[in-house]
Amino acid sequence: MHVRTRYARSGDLRIAYQVVGHGSVDLVFVPGFISNLEINWEDPGYARFLGRLSAFSRLIHFDKRGTGLSDRVDPGNLPDLRTRMKDIHAVMDAAGSGRAVLLGASEGAAMSLLFCAAYPDRTRALVLYGVSDSSHRQAAASKALDRFINLIEETWGTGRSLQTLAPGLVQDTQFCDWWGRLERFSASPSAAIALARMNADIDIAGVLREIRAPTLILHRTDDPHVDLAAGRDLARRIASSSFVELPGNTHPIWTGDVDRVADVIEEFVTGIPPFQERQRVLATLLSTRLTRPPGYRFSDRRWSEAATNLRERLEAVARSFGGTVVRWEGDRGLARFDGPAKAIRCGLAVAEACRGRLERLAQGVHVGEVELSQASPHGTTVMIATAIADSASAEQVRASAVTAELCAGSGLRFEPCGQIRFDFLDKPVAIACVATVQHLESARPVPPASIDLGCLSERERQVLELLAGGLSNTEIAVQLQISDHTIKRHVANILGKLDMSSRMGAAAAYLASRGRP
Amino acid sequence: MQTRLQAVSGPALKSAIEQRNGSALASFYAPDAILRIMDRNNPPSRPREIHGRAAIAAFWDDICSRAMTHAVDTTLADDGRMAFTQACSYPDGTRVFCISVMETREGQISQQTIVQTWDE
Repeated sequence: MHVRTRYARSGDLRIAYQVVGHGSVDLVFVPGFISNLEINWEDPGYARFLGRLSAFSRLIHFDKRGTGLSDRVDPGNLPDLRTRMKDIHAVMDAAGSGRAVLLGASEGAAMSLLFCAAYPDRTRALVLYGVSDSSHRQAAASKALDRFINLIEETWGTGRSLQTLAPGLVQDTQFCDWWGRLERFSASPSAAIALARMNADIDIAGVLREIRAPTLILHRTDDPHVDLAAGRDLARRIASSSFVELPGNTHPIWTGDVDRVADVIEEFVTGIPPFQERQRVLATLLSTRLTRPPGYRFSDRRWSEAATNLRERLEAVARSFGGTVVRWEGDRGLARFDGPAKAIRCGLAVAEACRGRLERLAQGVHVGEVELSQASPHGTTVMIATAIADSASAEQVRASAVTAELCAGSGLRFEPCGQIRFDFLDKPVAIACVATVQHLESARPVPPASIDLGCLSERERQVLELLAGGLSNTEIAVQLQISDHTIKRHVANILGKLDMSSRMGAAAAYLASRGRP
Repeated sequence: MQTRLQAVSGPALKSAIEQRNGSALASFYAPDAILRIMDRNNPPSRPREIHGRAAIAAFWDDICSRAMTHAVDTTLADDGRMAFTQACSYPDGTRVFCISVMETREGQISQQTIVQTWDE
């Protein structure tokens, strides 16, 4: 999504901001520790969160001075919170917002409280997330701050600061890479250390009694950075507040179940519960599973390495087709795309990337509505895509017939290959197999040619039989205990003797000849 | 705040909108009025609906708090129906264009549908 970045003047500095959404209520998102308006949109969770907020409001978000796309400041002489709070004022003026709901996350919550106390007539309401007052932070001791600063000193730009903010996400290499990028593009290590020190010194206790605006305080039950008890205590000290606990174990507001967070904010701001169906979206799912060649035994370690390799390849290739891997379990993956042709081309590209390896892929694609309120899609569409992948043999990409129909005009070709019954559907789902060697095939379906296997040697017949079973050259070589090179020569001889232009054609003709009485 | 009710007319609407006078705008609506808004986020099959004068007053209060300009043009009216176009501009240059169609009853707006499009 392209959103124009604009600049507001706050004193001598320029503050970068964006406006997105058409709602009648202005919602100003005051970020926490670091941000970068353009890098933020690269993370699917962050983009989803901003998208949800801007669906019911005119969302105004910005990078605080010294961070992201806003002017840098001297890290050794950072302005205090009161000065930085004026950035909210400047951005609201520039965007023409007379009165707004402020959404302050983490340190942004302290800034929002200060703004509300200083400009009550410009604060329609407050939403505070993952925040505590200074008494709780002092109780947490300066050791935690020292540890965090050491972490910044040693690892800034690598994404390792996630250990303190969302330890459960450290294993997610894609998210970790993005987080490292966000760190690098949001602040230098010196600026990050100065910000962390300044955040630790913020004291908001004095302004809590002055808050009159309706206030919603949100806190995740297992927030690893700020104690739940601190959030509850803050709620007790703001007379006009209500407190909502949300399940979750991450600190950044845009991680975890962002829909749950957005639901609560939307209801608080608009007074209307969110329309639930908007969480069901049309999506294309690619289900990928690793297959073992017949007769070949993998050690557990070798199989695990192969699965890791596939996961990395799938993540990289899916990204290049605009998709995301939304689930990975053992030797199976599930990727989501916004169009069927992209999903199928991704499947073909991943299979191609794995060609030549012993382990191969069987893949299935299906289009349907998925529920996005959970961490990853689930439901009927996922079950159908998974079952289609289960029905596919090695190196095949299969798709439901509806997926194939939606690909009309894409240049992809499909061959019908049966149907699958589901006990939760009235009708069976028709399946098609994606034709991979398109340029060698006739535009019109032609019956397989009649072939005379008598012209083949005994060895060539064995090779053709295995080839028709879907095995690669390497697998056939393993089965017959001869070299890859010899198999290639046999395949070339077979195609020559049968006057065929492709392996697929030879395999189809062989199967057709076996099927004849 | 007590809202003094007044009969809706093209010039009165134009004046209230262009002067960003939320309470004057609220006074044009019947107590059970319905305001529908259609835009990119609120498609025709699921428009945003605001029911009742109090909620509509809050809506106009939010809109009128914005430091922006509104220009009402092409106001049409016949017995029981009114329509107008509205061009709006934010200080950062973002422009919005709306078409509004209303049904009136005894000098008050009973139903209004606004279709709006924004600079993205």
